[in-house]
Amino acid sequence: MDLVVAIARWLSDPAHWQGTEGIAARLGEHLLLAAAALAIAGVIGLGAGIRIGHTGRGANVAVNLANLGRALPTLAVMAIVVPITAGIDSELGFKVYPAIIGLVVLAVPPILVNAYTGISGVDRDMVEAGRAAGMTEGQVLRSVELPLAAPVIFTGLRSATSQVIATATLAAIFGGPGLGRFLVDGYAQLDYPQMWAGVILVAALFAVVELAFALLQRAITSPGVNSGYVLASPDHRSGTVRGEAA
Amino acid sequence: MRKFRMLALGASVLVLFGACSTGGGGKPTLKIGSDGFDEARVVAEVYAQVLEKNGYTVDRAGIGLGTRDATNAALFSGQIDMKPEYIGSGAAKLGGQKTSDPAKNQQELQRVLNDKAITVFGYTPGEDTNALVVKKATADQYHLSKWSDLTPIATQLKWGLATDCKTSPVCAGALKDAYGIDYAQLQVTPLDACSADMDSALQNDTVQVAELCSTGPEILVNGWVLLEDDKKTQPADAIAPIIRNDWLAKTDKAAVQGILDPVSAKIDTATLADLYKQVSVDKKDIKDVARAWLSAQGFLPAAS
Repeated sequence: MDLVVAIARWLSDPAHWQGTEGIAARLGEHLLLAAAALAIAGVIGLGAGIRIGHTGRGANVAVNLANLGRALPTLAVMAIVVPITAGIDSELGFKVYPAIIGLVVLAVPPILVNAYTGISGVDRDMVEAGRAAGMTEGQVLRSVELPLAAPVIFTGLRSATSQVIATATLAAIFGGPGLGRFLVDGYAQLDYPQMWAGVILVAALFAVVELAFALLQRAITSPGVNSGYVLASPDHRSGTVRGEAA
Repeated sequence: MRKFRMLALGASVLVLFGACSTGGGGKPTLKIGSDGFDEARVVAEVYAQVLEKNGYTVDRAGIGLGTRDATNAALFSGQIDMKPEYIGSGAAKLGGQKTSDPAKNQQELQRVLNDKAITVFGYTPGEDTNALVVKKATADQYHLSKWSDLTPIATQLKWGLATDCKTSPVCAGALKDAYGIDYAQLQVTPLDACSADMDSALQNDTVQVAELCSTGPEILVNGWVLLEDDKKTQPADAIAPIIRNDWLAKTDKAAVQGILDPVSAKIDTATLADLYKQVSVDKKDIKDVARAWLSAQGFLPAAS
């Protein structure tokens, strides 16, 4: 009970919200870090996933590679790249780039696998009907496959975003920015209110982002399309799709 | 009937006897913990192996636990029973006086640990102190040889300090009180002190002043410059095992001290630096390093 009061007091202290080490600044850093990683992972994952889903070529290689990425702990990726990136940029290469690279490796698999599964899972009859109607490949992709696959693709993005928001806390281990600072410093200083405040802030951010995604998903999904109708429903947690093998 | 009663009496006497023997002179499992960096871990491992040799069971889960805040919390709450402690910094952390005399530091550490019901055993002749280290090029550029030289340029430099520095009396406290360097004004990258990350940050110029351990092998290996703590703020940090009294009460305290003190007495500064280097630079297995040293000193039979 004392701890709850202490956490509430820590969070409500205006001094903890201001300045370069305040909550507002750390929140901004955290979002920037996550956004950078997701933007890169989005380009890679969507680009490769959609292409593979559409052409059907290289699916095995890409999906297995993505799953390999899933097996790599983010912290290990960071530790491996630190000596390389720090040699390129002493400041960001140590504190920021390793975290971004680690998060990209984390975020690509759910994005890529869902994009591939979403596109390749679209009913072949509908794709053929599009072609029969004289659509170019680009039109088939844009007008048939993407709208139908959107819910599954979106679920991949959402899953990746959730994981990145939570995992971006690791940046602090290498002296980096973000909400993880409260966790790492709070633990080192045995300042439990600070540590728990960090946990609560990350959880709250996670909840807000999830909610935003849910609303966005509802808004952008074409009328008549829902994840129950088109395809096997994706397992949201792990980012894999049930029935993927079949 | 009579016979039965005799048996029952006999059995209960046996039970009582048994209870007594485990109460006073048993060899209960000892949960050992340590700070997170390699030197503290290898010293903890040395103590662990010599106790195992003498029939104790050791739980190593707490070795490498983290900062002093974390290991203290674990020790005071009984999650671990023992850890090697740097006696000067350890005393200072709990509000004791720190000096450059290890005997005084040991007394002071015992004084502040009395109400935690923890006993300090004999300390090592070897010492490791908190050090501020810069690259040769930085030392040349700013003419740095001692901590006072940092004061006028403190805010221009990038500092790598321990994650618990901000709240530590021997770190942020000493910098401010003795050197007029205000932690809050510095550009700090918080990292684990004496860690590979801290080495890497200095190596890659992410930081220019790094908090390392004076016995740290990377200082010599890389030709870095160890700045002199000219105001003598850093305590003489010899190492001593500190153990919970409730664990000692379950065993023969004098015997445990008789096992550990001779080992501590053999750990000089060169030994600390060497053990640290073997683990941290040569990447040898921590158990092998500890076993080899104990064997060489005659505490364990020579390796087969």
